[in-house]
Amino acid sequence: MIDTNVTKSTHRKRAFFLSLIPGLGQLYNRQYLKAFAFIVLAFSFIIAFKDLLNIGLWGLVTLGEQLPRDHSVFLLVEGIIAVLVLLLGLCVYALNLYDAHLNGKRRDLGIQLNSIREQYRNVIDTGFPYLMLSPGFFLLIFVVIFPILFVILLAFTNYDLYHSPPARLVDWIGFQNFIDIFKLDIWRRTFISVLSWTVIWTFIATTVQITIGIFLAVLLNQKDLKFKKLFRTILILPWAIPAFVSILVFAGMFNESFGAINNDLLAFFGIDPIPWLTSPFWAKVALILIQSWLGFPFIFAMVTGVLQSIPEELYEAATVDGATMLQKFRSITLPLILYAIAPILITQYTFNFNNFNVIFLFNGGGPPMPGQTAGSTDILISWIYSLTLESKQYAKAAAVTMILSLIVISVALWQFRRTKSFKEEDMM
Amino acid sequence: MLKKFLSVSLTAGLAVSMLAACGPQDSGEETGGKTDSNEKPEKLVVWEDKEKGVALEPAIKSFEEKYGIKVEFKELGMADEIREQLPLDAPAGTGPDVLTLPHDQIGALATQGLLAPIEVDEKVIDTFTESSIQAQSFEGQLYGLPKATETPVFIYNKEYMEAAPESFDELYDFSKDFTGNGNYGFLALWDNFYFANAIMAANGGYVFKQTDDGLDADDIGLNNEGAVKGAQYIQKWYEEGLFPKGIVGENGGSAMDGLFNEGKVASVMNGPWAFQGMQDAGIEIGVAPLPKLPNGEYPQTFIGVKGWHVSAYSENKEWATKLVEWVTNEENAKIRYEKTKEIPPVKSLIEDPVIADNEGAAAVAVQSQRGVPMPNIPEMGQVWEPMANALQLIVTGKQEPQPALEDSTKTIKQQIEASGAK
Repeated sequence: MIDTNVTKSTHRKRAFFLSLIPGLGQLYNRQYLKAFAFIVLAFSFIIAFKDLLNIGLWGLVTLGEQLPRDHSVFLLVEGIIAVLVLLLGLCVYALNLYDAHLNGKRRDLGIQLNSIREQYRNVIDTGFPYLMLSPGFFLLIFVVIFPILFVILLAFTNYDLYHSPPARLVDWIGFQNFIDIFKLDIWRRTFISVLSWTVIWTFIATTVQITIGIFLAVLLNQKDLKFKKLFRTILILPWAIPAFVSILVFAGMFNESFGAINNDLLAFFGIDPIPWLTSPFWAKVALILIQSWLGFPFIFAMVTGVLQSIPEELYEAATVDGATMLQKFRSITLPLILYAIAPILITQYTFNFNNFNVIFLFNGGGPPMPGQTAGSTDILISWIYSLTLESKQYAKAAAVTMILSLIVISVALWQFRRTKSFKEEDMM
Repeated sequence: MLKKFLSVSLTAGLAVSMLAACGPQDSGEETGGKTDSNEKPEKLVVWEDKEKGVALEPAIKSFEEKYGIKVEFKELGMADEIREQLPLDAPAGTGPDVLTLPHDQIGALATQGLLAPIEVDEKVIDTFTESSIQAQSFEGQLYGLPKATETPVFIYNKEYMEAAPESFDELYDFSKDFTGNGNYGFLALWDNFYFANAIMAANGGYVFKQTDDGLDADDIGLNNEGAVKGAQYIQKWYEEGLFPKGIVGENGGSAMDGLFNEGKVASVMNGPWAFQGMQDAGIEIGVAPLPKLPNGEYPQTFIGVKGWHVSAYSENKEWATKLVEWVTNEENAKIRYEKTKEIPPVKSLIEDPVIADNEGAAAVAVQSQRGVPMPNIPEMGQVWEPMANALQLIVTGKQEPQPALEDSTKTIKQQIEASGAK
């Protein structure tokens, strides 16, 4: 009986197509209140956002046509907002179509439609979490998604000093920026050497700071150790001092002729002064040392926390089985630490990949190398900074930022997927 | 089926009509919205540098009395805040009529269409030194009037030096004797192009060729014979250990200042901004123009000129220009010098006892006349980094002057090209 009904009646199709004008489908389904709501929503959307959508979409496509009326960057911003608003509107529109289709189908199947009261309960029951989430979600759209879209779009324009509003218009130029980055001599020649140092820097600096952090945390967690609190406080101190202050102090200490490290520390051991700032190799060593100093307290603090939560019984059982200290560390402590903090370790790597502060403040990427536009300790981000932002090549900077983000995101994603922390299985 | 067709065509039609109606509807009637009028405005807005308003207040007061136009001023960081806010505020109508800038930013802001060229009487222009007017000109047009000037000079510790030497040869001999045991006879940041250019330019090097229409960015003279000779002279001071390696690089300036303030250095090349810190450190300093180089020329230091400019978005450009003339006239320039110790490049004032009798001010004023304005075209932004690199390679002995300067000039040219200037 029901089967024949389905084939015969076509309420769902009719309701769906009527709903192309919001509310009509609901009207057809005799859900008057809902229909009214959709119609009002649709009209107010059009009336409220007509101008924004009109100017915004036009601006997004053309980026302005005549001066001085059109300011390309403002138009780009307006355009992105228009697209976001439009997408939200389309979501509601899709909901309207879906609703009309769903209720039409229920009529086709001969099922009683929900009464107003039931609908209300339905919305409250299933929609409540979404209702609570929505303010945060809207904020997220404008604080996070909007700037990202802006940077992505900027990468496809020619926005630089010579194409800069209000004197000139900005134009879309497709992938030209990306092509330029790899085609231009000064960029390409230096790119590989900078990239390789960036990778080495990320890997060594981060690994060293993690190793020191874990090592010290485990050391200080020994049961019989006296003055634990004192040691902990001392080891947290490097974290408490603002990084840029420490970096500038280090820059002074590493000074070849007057710094404390060459004059006092190394001289005390009878070691000749080391050219920390003018030799590429030693500058790199100095940077890795500084970053280890800056980075380990965070790992140390976190691992100390993790260690408190490892049950004592595990060690007792291991002792009964005759395990050595090293075996206990390798089979109990380390796996449990890594299990707990793996995601944070990954963020440490990505952080150092883009660790602009320490490079920029220590010696500005120097010392220079013959025939290259980057200094020998420049990492990608600091190199790009001096190449683009100082000369106001905003579009190229955006393009390179996109490439950098892609690298960081893909490595991070790949690693995140491999860590166990995000899988909901119990390790213990 | 019919309905489907109907609805599809309906949506399509709707979309097309929407697209057709797209965009601002007032095209063609736009006249720019900016109307210049000679009528007196109610008020003018001025953006002044941080902590320099004290020197502006008296000038504003007399301007208000004379013309009956109210002038409001706001203090903003000249090198960063004004530069960043102007592109946003000016088009939005909340910008200033008159603003102050270091002259090396004129090119970039004029290219962006934010500064208006001004027209003033030849008589007014004549009151300023030639180099300061040159600094205010871009692509053959005058973009403002100079307010203050600064340039590096020779500063010495009176404990070790009775008077400034006449020539660099003399200074070299003195330095040879004096340097040792952590003491230095003379120090300068010659790995920094801002200071090094003084030596290279005096030997015949130049950044961009000065032509009648302004600077020619295609003609770079940083690898010519003179520049190389200058770089060789620079190299000599480092090679012979008269300049320590510790003052090379990004943080060399603070190392040098520290040494001088500890009393370990007899003399340095530095700008007037350093006077205060040295005096605060308890050192009795003497100031003089830089001595003659071995080739008989005076070092041609880079001059920085701060100026007053008119915003392109000002609705009262004529009155704004009048205000610029007013605050830079001799009387108000003198007030500025007295209140802020900034040296106005006004010819008559440089000979005025107020400045001529002050050792520091007089030295800066004299040195300013021997220097060259820092290039104010936006291409200059591409020069600093490659030149700093080349100089550092030269002074640390990693590369000889000739190939290092060839490399950097090539890089500068490529970077200018890549920046979209062409």
